[in-house]
Amino acid sequence: MLAGLLVGSVVGLALGMAVHRTPRARSAAVHVCGLILTVPSLAMYALLLALLGTIGTLPVIVALALYSLLPIVRNTVTGLNGVDPAVVEAAQGVGMGRWRRLVSIELPLAWPVVVTGVRVSAVLLVGVAALGPIIGGPGLGELIFSGLRVITSPNAVNLALMGTLGVVLVGMLLDGAFLVLTRVTTSRGVR
Amino acid sequence: MPAMIELEQLTKHYPGRSAPAVDSLDLTIAEGEIVILVGPSGCGKTTTLKMINRIIEPSSGIIRLQGEDVTRANPDHLRRRIGYVIQQVGLFPHQTIGRNITTVPRLLGWSQQRIDDRLDELMHLVGMDPGTYRDRYPKELSGGQRQRVGVARALAADPPVMLMDEPFGALDPISRERLQNEFLRLQEEIRKTIVFVTHDIDEAITMGDRIAILREGSTVAQYDTPETVLAAPADDFVREFIGSGAALKRLGLARVRDVELGQWPTSPIGSGREAALRALASSEHGSVLLLDDRRRPLRWVRADELEQPGSLERLGVEVRGTVEPTTTLAHALDAMVGSRVGAVVVVDGSGALLGTVDMRVIMAAVDTMRTDAHEQDREEVPSR
Repeated sequence: MLAGLLVGSVVGLALGMAVHRTPRARSAAVHVCGLILTVPSLAMYALLLALLGTIGTLPVIVALALYSLLPIVRNTVTGLNGVDPAVVEAAQGVGMGRWRRLVSIELPLAWPVVVTGVRVSAVLLVGVAALGPIIGGPGLGELIFSGLRVITSPNAVNLALMGTLGVVLVGMLLDGAFLVLTRVTTSRGVR
Repeated sequence: MPAMIELEQLTKHYPGRSAPAVDSLDLTIAEGEIVILVGPSGCGKTTTLKMINRIIEPSSGIIRLQGEDVTRANPDHLRRRIGYVIQQVGLFPHQTIGRNITTVPRLLGWSQQRIDDRLDELMHLVGMDPGTYRDRYPKELSGGQRQRVGVARALAADPPVMLMDEPFGALDPISRERLQNEFLRLQEEIRKTIVFVTHDIDEAITMGDRIAILREGSTVAQYDTPETVLAAPADDFVREFIGSGAALKRLGLARVRDVELGQWPTSPIGSGREAALRALASSEHGSVLLLDDRRRPLRWVRADELEQPGSLERLGVEVRGTVEPTTTLAHALDAMVGSRVGAVVVVDGSGALLGTVDMRVIMAAVDTMRTDAHEQDREEVPSR
């Protein structure tokens, strides 16, 4: 799951940085990412299975990366556009090129918002990742599926409940971990 | 003075607007001068300023810096040679004061030792203790302190030129005046060529060696010293822009040392009543100034008061609110109006009497300024 999040973060950040200046590209990117999120996860898995021609870990990672895009792209765009224009102008005025400005000024200032996007994605992915075992990937869903398979046995509810609680717990832990990460990686000057 | 910045036929057209924001501007700025671009809002003064370091790219025309055409030079390299100070300051909030100030030296790849030395020097220059402030963040500073840091950042790599866009516009009046004065003192040391934009004519008069008054399309209505602009406005636009009180504003430019002081009858307080009466008798004034043995003025005494009994130390009124030769005539006038005798005493550094300023002195000074300006104006006309 974390691998999917990592790929999604890198792609989402790059996409956000690329489109944040042009309003048209910006809304197009956000719309497409929003569209991806509306695809039901079971359908997405089935689709990727067909496209990639393999079961196992790879399609799960790709699916997770795709699902994580919207919050990350949207927050990257929001964060970058929220940087005080006077600060950007000052950076330009001291002779920082476009790339340097982005990396050393705009991105650090947008950082808290960007990481919040990653955090939202992480929590979102926990639920999606739970269904990973359906196409032979790893995931907490194993327990839920075991429960479903033995639906008539007395253990069914227990297994499904354990799986579900596990998913919720992982989600909460991730959320907390990202809160700490945001705080640690943000400059004292903008906290 | 050699020209530092030359603008030739500089023009900026914004798409979708018929009239250019800046229309074929020609302007030459001499080395070491503070030139103020001043005008009503929308006249294109800020656009003009931002074209010099190409934050705004000109549509046509030429910008020369130290004789070199920089209209198509690499803008990032150009900007590292030009200090830039804006009204909102634009400090990098996620970096310490120290890192903010040393931005350009770091971009230029100076050695760490050189950067550290320069940082200390700059912080002292703008009156901030390096030990106290170096590691703080911008949000921990007041508005005035932030703009000091902004000025230090602009000066960091010792650029020959500084561009300042309403740098003190967002400050409260007290901080603004403090920073203006500090900056003028700083300029005495650093002697930069400075282009300074403001919409405030009073700030222009205080700060400028030369003022360019701009009307719509950044057209120069008048480009001259503050004295001349005030005494001999080129046309009705300039006159209207200066507004009322031009004569009073001019008094803010002249110093007490520039005028011929009035002389008042004086008498040493130790010489007694008779001497004071004699001094009074031989002058047309109605009162006499009593001095101590080091010629420091003590009291104003009128003739009828000298008739009264009592020691001389108790007669008349105490001399208060003296001014020095470096005081502006505007302040002297203020002190004069506030005094009971209609004159203010001028003393030197040790407090000894130099003379007095009264209404006649002020009027004579205004007269001289007006004549000077007109003569200068006549001389300049044929050369244009």
